[in-house]
Amino acid sequence: MACQAAGEELPRPCCNGYNELAPADTSRALLQDRPEKHRREEAAEGGALPALEDAYLSILEGLGENPARQGLLQTPRRAAKAMQFLTKGYQEAIEDILNDAIFDEDHNEMVIVKDIDMFSLCEHHLVPFFGKVHIGYLPIKKVVGLSKLARIVEIFSRRLQVQERLTRQIALAITEALKPAGVAVIVEASHMCMVMRGVQKMNSRTVTSTMLGVLREDPKTREEFLTLIKN
Amino acid sequence: MGAARAPCNGYALEEKQQQPLPPAPSRALEKPRYSQGTSSQCLDNWKEERTRSEEDNEMNLPSLAAAYTTILRSLGEDPERQGLLRTPWRAATAMQFFTKGYQETISDVLNDAIFDEDHDEMVIVKDIDMFSLCEHHLVPFVGKVHIGYLPNKQVLGLSKLARIVEIYSRRLQVQERLTKQIAVAITEALQPTGVGVVIEATHMCMVMRGVQKMNSKTVTSTMLGVFREDAKTREEFLTLIRS
Repeated sequence: MACQAAGEELPRPCCNGYNELAPADTSRALLQDRPEKHRREEAAEGGALPALEDAYLSILEGLGENPARQGLLQTPRRAAKAMQFLTKGYQEAIEDILNDAIFDEDHNEMVIVKDIDMFSLCEHHLVPFFGKVHIGYLPIKKVVGLSKLARIVEIFSRRLQVQERLTRQIALAITEALKPAGVAVIVEASHMCMVMRGVQKMNSRTVTSTMLGVLREDPKTREEFLTLIKN
Repeated sequence: MGAARAPCNGYALEEKQQQPLPPAPSRALEKPRYSQGTSSQCLDNWKEERTRSEEDNEMNLPSLAAAYTTILRSLGEDPERQGLLRTPWRAATAMQFFTKGYQETISDVLNDAIFDEDHDEMVIVKDIDMFSLCEHHLVPFVGKVHIGYLPNKQVLGLSKLARIVEIYSRRLQVQERLTKQIAVAITEALQPTGVGVVIEATHMCMVMRGVQKMNSKTVTSTMLGVFREDAKTREEFLTLIRS
């Protein structure tokens, strides 16, 4: 991969926290959830804001606009802050949001949280894609607070993403945190990079899914999940 | 050196700050403007259009890409990783596409498609998909445009209404101004008895960030001529676009 420097022992955590070379190694994937921590923290402290503002100013000029007109005067700052908000997932870690909300519960039926609104940025064009996430899991003795599933979606979606990777990262995070019997994540989204430009197909939606554990092995369980999220 | 750029996206505002305009980039080709008599300041001249050219796009692409590389780095990402290697170029080209309205003029789009027709009933083209960029946050807003007009001896090719929407929406915009620019362009081209434009849009800057209201829509309208004066005509238009 292009991101691997020669001679390094460990591959750099270069893939948005997900090491594509070791898909079976879920713990590694999550450890790399906070790559280059110092860089992220520096970005979070506002050290990056002036550079972002300058970049947006030069974008306005490069597009042929006049950054001195009233409507655009504060735009570099607003756009920079908006972009920082839209990528705030980089500053958040799974441990911070999950540690308190895992409960021992003798429940071994499927738990589903569906229609979680998701907004992300396509890493190829820096244009939004948004849609819904449906999550289901079969607990073994441990359940997680329901809103934490939505928070996991937030952490991974507020980044520069690829929908396939987003789906997998959510599933792996839940697996790592709870060790359930199975996890299923389905993401259904509309990509502005396909709607507003390029092929310009207004109504197309992209659906990706990740099934782990018993939801992958047992077709009946999977079918139950898929039916329950349908209506 | 061409005429100085219109600083207000074609819309005259009272400039509270009289800032000196930055020097306009030199252009290899100067497209003829639809309106004559451009000046260095914004007049209340709705037709005044920006004339960015393909050569400008090519010239500016490297600096746009460099700006996007800086953005990636400043967000804490690694621009060298596989998924992001070509992103600065893709994002820059995408942004140029989203603002391609600056390259187009109304006259190019309309000149051939005005026809003499003895029709004086309302003509409506509704549910025109519209995609624009909020000039405050550089985040998309998307929605539908409904246009109606009462012709006065001249009608316009129907797709030209959608093309007028395209020209003005593919810019850094404010929904109110976009609505007005579309209405005024049609008025100038056809001199109809009246024009009504309604835009209903969802602003990603409100949905994805800030107040984060998922289902809110913003509706703006511009009514000119008999659509403004006569309540019945306006009511007919609003009813017809609703169904």
